[in-house]
Amino acid sequence: METIAVYWESRIKTYGFNKLNNLSLFEFYYPAKKTAELGKILSDHNFQDIKTKYIIAQESNNGISLVFCLPEKEGRGFHDSLKKTLSLKLYRYLYPVGILFFHGPHFGDRYGIADAAFSSLLEAGIKVISSGCSSASVFLVLAEDDLSRAEEALSKTFDSAQ
Amino acid sequence: MERLKIGGLKLSVALCQFELRGPGPPQKIASTLSKALAAEKINIEFLTYNLSKDGAYHISLCVNQDKYYSTSKIVQEKGYFPVNWEVVSREKIGMVTIFPYHSALAVLGVIMATWGENSIPVYGVATSLSAISFLTDFQAIDKAVEVIQSSFQLPDNHAPLKPELHYYQSTVSKKD
Repeated sequence: METIAVYWESRIKTYGFNKLNNLSLFEFYYPAKKTAELGKILSDHNFQDIKTKYIIAQESNNGISLVFCLPEKEGRGFHDSLKKTLSLKLYRYLYPVGILFFHGPHFGDRYGIADAAFSSLLEAGIKVISSGCSSASVFLVLAEDDLSRAEEALSKTFDSAQ
Repeated sequence: MERLKIGGLKLSVALCQFELRGPGPPQKIASTLSKALAAEKINIEFLTYNLSKDGAYHISLCVNQDKYYSTSKIVQEKGYFPVNWEVVSREKIGMVTIFPYHSALAVLGVIMATWGENSIPVYGVATSLSAISFLTDFQAIDKAVEVIQSSFQLPDNHAPLKPELHYYQSTVSKKD
């Protein structure tokens, strides 16, 4: 049996905006046939205390492209360790970046959230470096200097709980 | 070796995935695409967006599987994307969400290692505040769950959560 629940909201509700700054972004590519090998390296106990703030992975050219955001100090160490262990050729390191993330009561159940977020930032001339939206949340990686301006732009579109 | 503790698993309904790659301007494309999907009342269940090292932008999104044809029509429509953008789609995939976790990196590592050993593909990953979601073939979900249950410590009598409610946003507004 399928249960259908219907609701309507005039302005997309959020539980507020959260900002993280002083982060580094680290990205690398790894061949698909070696993902098990990469998995063993990433699950190594040396990396278990690393507190990543953001991870996305995308399939790309018979491989996987992984993006991580970490506090600057941890990010530098993680970057150096992986470079030594994996002999990475294609990688990217950006510093400083920040994350703006938010979620809301109906995220995941309704359409229009990505449109509202990307369009607001585009109109405000703010460049999104990377983004991951899952489990009813939106994570946006931006240049650190753009965080406050992005919050301002999004606040015009989204309703923020006080 | 002690297995990592996780709080639980959540499985999605059947989804479909669209991957779009090409040179800029990606934000305009993300905005245009999400606007077109919103106009058709299509909810995006999962989205990642990134600029690759090679200069190409990559947008990956998942919608409910019953929206495969309407979404295909949008992404293939002339005028929405520059001609040099590549579109790849997967008609039936599933999402496995693991929560809560202490180390997303460790969970990612264990999933990549164990799924890789069992030939279970990973088509996408994204973290949220307290969860990490993995995309794979819908047909591989049962095997993927079996592998997770044998690789992590789950609470006793835990069974993966499956969606029972299907929400829609109405186009009709009701005033108080």
